[in-house]
Formats: sequence, C-alpha cells, structure tokens
Amino acid sequence: MMMPPSTARRLCFLSLLLLLLLLAAAASATADAAAAEEFTEELLLRPLPDRKALAHFHFRSSAPPASAAGRHHHLFPKAISQLVQKFHISELELSFTQGRWNYEQWGGYDPMSTNNAKPPGVELWAIFDLPLAEIDATWKNLTHTLSGLFCASINFLESSTAFSAPRWGFKLNEGNLRYGALPREAVCTENLTPWLKLLPCRDKAGIASLLYRPSVYKGYYHSQKLKLKSSQSLGIILDQTLTVVLQPNTVSGKQLHSTGGQLQPSWSMEHLFSKKLSGKCLVSKSSRVFVEIEKGIVDNVDKAGSDVSSNNDLFVLSTAPDRSLKELDNLEVQSSSLYEYDVNNYNSDKPLNVGITWKLPLIWSCTRAPYHASRFLMGSGNERGSIAMSFLSTGLDKQLVDSSNDCSIKAVVFQVVPWYVKVYYHSLEVFIDGNSKAISEVVDKIHVTPSEDKLLPGTMEMLLKFPCSMQLATLTLDFDKGFLHIDEYPPDANQGFDIPSALVSFPEFNSSRSYPEADPLFVSPLLENFKEDGVVKSYTEVLLVPLTTPDFSMPYNVITFTCTVLALYFGSLLNALRRRIGEEERGLKKAALVRELQFALLQSQSQMLRWSTIYFFCWI
Amino acid sequence: MAFARWVPGPSRPVLFFLLKTLPLLVLLTFSSAAPPAASSPAAVHNNNWAVLVCTSRFWFNYRHMANTLSLYRTVKRLGIPDERIILMLADDMACNPRNNYPAQVFNNENHQLNLYGDNVEVDYRGYEVTVENFLRVLTGRHESAVPRSKRLLSDEGSHILLYMTGHGGDEFLKFQDNEELQSHDLADAVKQMKEKHRFKELLIMVDTCQAATLFSQLQSPGVLAIGSSMKGENSYSHHLDSDIGVSVVDRFTFHTLAFFEKLNMYSNASLNSLFNSYDPSMLLSTAYYRMDLYKRALNEVMAR
Repeated sequence: MMMPPSTARRLCFLSLLLLLLLLAAAASATADAAAAEEFTEELLLRPLPDRKALAHFHFRSSAPPASAAGRHHHLFPKAISQLVQKFHISELELSFTQGRWNYEQWGGYDPMSTNNAKPPGVELWAIFDLPLAEIDATWKNLTHTLSGLFCASINFLESSTAFSAPRWGFKLNEGNLRYGALPREAVCTENLTPWLKLLPCRDKAGIASLLYRPSVYKGYYHSQKLKLKSSQSLGIILDQTLTVVLQPNTVSGKQLHSTGGQLQPSWSMEHLFSKKLSGKCLVSKSSRVFVEIEKGIVDNVDKAGSDVSSNNDLFVLSTAPDRSLKELDNLEVQSSSLYEYDVNNYNSDKPLNVGITWKLPLIWSCTRAPYHASRFLMGSGNERGSIAMSFLSTGLDKQLVDSSNDCSIKAVVFQVVPWYVKVYYHSLEVFIDGNSKAISEVVDKIHVTPSEDKLLPGTMEMLLKFPCSMQLATLTLDFDKGFLHIDEYPPDANQGFDIPSALVSFPEFNSSRSYPEADPLFVSPLLENFKEDGVVKSYTEVLLVPLTTPDFSMPYNVITFTCTVLALYFGSLLNALRRRIGEEERGLKKAALVRELQFALLQSQSQMLRWSTIYFFCWI
Repeated sequence: MAFARWVPGPSRPVLFFLLKTLPLLVLLTFSSAAPPAASSPAAVHNNNWAVLVCTSRFWFNYRHMANTLSLYRTVKRLGIPDERIILMLADDMACNPRNNYPAQVFNNENHQLNLYGDNVEVDYRGYEVTVENFLRVLTGRHESAVPRSKRLLSDEGSHILLYMTGHGGDEFLKFQDNEELQSHDLADAVKQMKEKHRFKELLIMVDTCQAATLFSQLQSPGVLAIGSSMKGENSYSHHLDSDIGVSVVDRFTFHTLAFFEKLNMYSNASLNSLFNSYDPSMLLSTAYYRMDLYKRALNEVMAR
C-alpha cells in the first residue's frame, strides 16, 4: 500500500523529531548518572629487599545508589551492578592468586600485605542482605554466575562441603557471611581477560595497558582481586586490584659496588612490563603512579645524612616526581615516603617510564607481623596424621608493648578443613616454648563446627592469648583420613587433596598507613585504602594431604574376572548336560565304516566293470 | 556399511561438484545467509557456533591443548566471537609450573605464534571438563544456575563446529584419564540436538587415534564428520619442541591449520579443498570423512 509522498514525508519528519526528543531525554538522564559515576586508576611501585619489585594496580569504579541513576551506566560495569542487585550483596571479595606471599621478606605489617596477600587459588567471601534462610541458595547461584563471569571453576564452591559460615573468626557478622576457597584453582590469562573487561578503558589505554601477560604470569606472586561494597546510601564501590611481585630483568644484573657490597637491581617500568605508559584512560577522574620507599630505606638515607628527596645518595628516581608525600605514624616520626606522578602530564610523545637506580648497596627489611604463622602436617601413613600450626615471634611486640606479666598478644585463628580429613578437636594441644600448656590458659574463645561426612567441612575459630615474652608456640590437632566414593575422586587423585590456608589475624595490631594529602579534592582511593583501620592478617600455607586411593582399574578387573568365571561355569554346565561321551566316537566309527563299505563297493564296482568290458571284447 | 566406500579421490565427480559449491562452514559470516525462499519451512543460516573440547590432562598432553587453542584462534580470527565459542580445556598449560614460557602456548617450535594471546576465555576448565558437562552443553540440559556463557545457545539456524581432541580408540574418546565418551553417546546427543532444532548443520572434527570410529553411530541428517584416522590407525603428533620438552601439535590439526592460515574472513574456499589437502603420507593416517548424512541434507538445500 503506497502513501502519497507528502504524507509520507510529514510522517517521516514527525518520527525523526520524536526520535530526537527521546535521544535528548536519554542523554540528559545518562548525563546525570554519568556525573556521579567515577573511575580512578593508580599504580604503586615498591622495591623489595630481596631484589624484587612489587607492582600494585588499583582501579576503582563507583556508581551512585540505584534509585538515583536507574539502570543506565556510563563507566560502571553493568554486569557487576546486576550481580549486586540480583543477589542482594552488601560486600563481596573475590581473589585469584598464584604464588605465596613471602611474609619474611616482603613484610606482614603494612596495608599492602594485609589487604593483598591472599591464599593461593580462589578465595571468595560475601555478605548478603537477605534473611538467613535464603543465603545458602543465593550463595549457590552467586558461585555459578561468578564462574561464568571470570572463567574459573568457582561453581565448585556451591555445595555445602565447600563453603563455611564463620561468625567472628574471619570477619564479625551476624550469620550472613559465607566463605569458600579453592586452593588448587589455576589462575591464568583467561581470568584476567574478563577482569579487565570490567574497566572502562579495558587494557587499551591507561595504566592497564602496561599489563604484558607473560610478565605478569612470570612473577613470583600475582593476585587479582575484586572487592565490592554496596549500600543504599553510597551506591556501589568496586575496587579492582592486581598485585604482582616481579624480578626485574636488568642488563646490569648483579653489580658489585666499589665498597664490595652488591647493588640492588635498578629497574624501571619498561624492565618490568616491556612497555612505557603513554597516557591515561581518558574517562578516569585521576590517574597516578606512586613509588613507595619503605621505612627501612628512609632510615638508611637519614643515616647517610641526606634528606629523602627523589635524588639522594642512595638512589635516584629516573623521572622527577610531581609530588612527594611523607607518612606520619603515631609518633609523628616520618616513616615511608611516597613519590607521586600524575599521568595526565604524559602522553604518547612523552611516555612515562618510572624507574629507580641505586647508587650504594643497601640492605633493609620490611616490618613483619608480631608472629610468623606457619602450618604443616605431621605423621605418616594413610590412616591418620596431625595438623600443626606454629607461631614464631618476630620481635615486633617488644617494641610496642612493655614486658609486664599481664602483657599478652591476641591472635585469632580461622581454619576450614574438608570433611575427608576428620579432625578430632578434642585432641588440641598447645606448646609454648616447648612446654605443654593447658588449653584454658591459652585459648580464650573457641567455636567449632565439626565436619559431617559428605555434608559439611570442619570449621574452627579460635581466639588465643600468648604471653608477650613467648618465642614459639605450637598447636597440634589429630585427624583421621577418610574414604571417598570412587566417583568422588578427581582425575589426578594420586596428587593428594588440599586443605585451604588458615587465616591468622592479630586484632590488637593496626595496619594502616596515613599519607596526608595536600589537596583535599584529589583524594586517592589507594591511599584511602591504606588509611583504613585494618587488623594485621596473615595466611598460612596450603596443606597437601595424600589420601588412600582405590585401584581405579578394579571395576574393569572385576568385570573381566566375573565374566570369565560365568563363562567357564555356564560352558561346563552346558557341556555336562548336553554332551554324550562315547556317542561321538561311536558315531564317528559308524560313519567311517559306512565310508569304507562305500569305497569297497565303488572299487568292486569298478573292477566288475573292467572285467565285463574285457569279457565283452574277448567275446567279440 | 555404505559409507566405507566414500574415500577421498576424484572418482565421484557429481558429488564433488556439489561439494565444491558449498562455502566453508567456519568462514560463513552473519551477513552471508542463504536467500530465504518464500515458501521454505527450513530455517535460514544466521549464526555460527563453535564447541572446542580438549579432553586430556597432564603436561605430556600439551599438544592436545595446543590443537584446541589453534582451532580457537583460527575460529576467532575468521569471525566467530567469544560469546559464540564454548572452549573446554581439561588442564592449564599456559600457567603450568612446567611451562618455561608463562601465559604462552605454542603450536610450532619456531614459537612465532602465541596461541594464548591476551584475550582468551575458557568456559569449562580443569575438573569441569567431564562427559556429563560435555553432553549437557550439546543437548542444552543444564541446571538453572548455569550461566549463559557456559551454554550452547544455538537455534535452528546455527551452523556448529564441534572439535574434539585427546586420546581415543575404537568407538570412544577418553576424558581426563578416568572417563569415556562412547560413539553411541555422541550419536544420541546429536540426535537430541536435531530433535530440539539446535543446529542446522553440524561439522564434527575429531583428532584422536581411530577417530573415524567415534562418529560411526551417527544417524541425524545435516551432520558432516571428519576424523584424523580410520579404525585401527593411530594419529600422530607432528613434531617435538626441544625447548618446551613435549610435542606441540598433532599432524591432522597441523595440516588443517596450514590450510586455514592461508584464508581470511572473506575467502570462499570450500570444504572439498580442505579435504583434498589432507595427504595420507604426511598425516601417516587416512583422514576420513563421512558425508552420507550431509549429502541428504545437501540435496534438499540444492534442490531449492
């Protein structure tokens, strides 16, 4: 059906006008929302005492409360806001880690190690804003959604044997927290890809463009973390961090200084990532690179007599920083130093390549947690064993507290053990400096959820009080090894089974670092996180428990043997029932006789024929 | 059986003429749908999917991972996006502690091409690659909580490439050293897919020992299957990389890639040229393809 051209044109014009109006309305709506959404990116570089370098990437996206912005997002990833709305999440943290954080060398007291030293594999915990009865089902759906989102097998945390609900050992809550860990989960590029896709500039521009995958995965430790906090008043704040410890491959290698000591390796961003930073992500509110010089180095610089600027007797930074911040601790004595570079000032013609060159050999150490917590297995054989946890004093406490008799240091231990390692909690023993102590002397509070076969893991939350003068404490727990059903064994069952890391926290020690900023408008989320009051935490090792494995070829063997036995039985039975012994031989003999007779007959017939022909011819 | 007579060679001119006019499945882009006939009840081809499965675990099976990742890269390069690819890898090679080149997987000892790249998305990995999950992906029967990125959301207009590699034998494919996928399981799953209208055409490529036996039970129309070796033959690896320490690619996949690397998204090569490029002396096995099911569907299409 054809309309007259003038009507068609008018209709076209009206529809175009309507479309323009709609677009304008939408644009204004998004503009309102966009004004409140923010994205900042930061990178912190720090030299470590054992000739390595730490790089910490920090990306923060924030979205205003849903009621104000509706469902349109400009910078904030929609997948995350949908996740928060669907599962009613108030807090969530998901980390993917490979490698072990070296607490002795890299520190255990500062906010970096407290927040970013994570157990190997995947760790997921979430606090839900739901009635307690619905949380387990929501947790299951959450694990599946996250496994699809991050290309990892997080869905293995769905069953009740894999997650636990600590009340105060991990984080104080009213029962709406769920915690799960997968120690054996591999972490590789496929986990980083979707993580980067949540950033507005992905890895194409800004600080994330430095992430050269072979460099990241060649490191000694890498941990990518997603942390989100959601509330009705503040909206959603999403923090994505990637912490990498790398060995810089410098040309100089191990240089000997004229004094005879070994120089620390001089490195730069190009050495670490094979790339320079050529500009910021254009939609980011601020984009900064920090170089943190630890207290240990600063003290050495002070001792050498110069003041801590970017160019002093001990080291020199390759580019002059835009600002330098000094940490103030409680005693108003300067500790660490922070040098700041604003990426806004750099572009592809003048890329940013922050680096540090050492002038004099230097040895320093990072502040450690009051006790070095480690865990190991005892016992042999496939029937039973013991888990032992040791706390070795690092000498920190002596500086901070007096050594009177009432002095004690609190430690909170949180441990989840899978059901097939059946821990006997009554067998808990405590040894302080080699002497056995009564449990009531050391354990202040303990909450245990014993394991149930194939249903629940064993959860233990303990509050311990150690005397300040203690050097070494050891806790032991006995366990029996359980049996799994043959279908429950993984394909590589002979490797063993993992007990996830235990968390040890020291509630009396506060790990925060305060860098007072000159500009109140330019608050850096990274430094804000550093300022937050957090307790000093450390994770122990993952334990590998060899369990008895069945002979996996047995089902095949059983079928083969059974079939053979049955075949022999039925074969013999049928033979016994149907075969007549001797009848066969008689039958054969008879047949042979008949054949002989027939042959004889044939022969005689032929002879007779011969003789008859001879007689015939003779007669003729 | 009838299909035993279909051996590659120039002896069936009519059949090969039909094949020559068929555009390569994986090279069809979204826009090149067949012209819809006004009265046709059959669906129009409007999307492509790929399901790539590596079923082997452990470091010495590096080449199976490299096979699958090579196909993944090829399929992505020639136009199928990550949302339409289901990649199942049974183990992690790129970030394996034994890998000297972290986050890199190579299929050639010259190390020119990093198959892992920067943007790989693996949908099922590690212990999740099981026969059950594989059949669930094919038939679409998942639990309600399973996310969309792990589902094969194909419809009756889909062309699907199903590539499987690993260790196999007479009528089975081994999954992760403790399970098997049997040929009749696969045939049943494909039959279910056909009944649920989950594909228009399906190309199955299998690179294992005695690969041709895996699709001997197929009966659904619209399925074209190619295996790297026949019953009683093994499929061999191509070469050993002394640096990584293991073989890095299998012969069948190596020659398949050699064919595809010459193409781009706009080429119009046909499956026939792919099949003709397989030389049994280079493969050390006979690449075997089964077209009888496909020929029936092909006749219907060509008649319109």
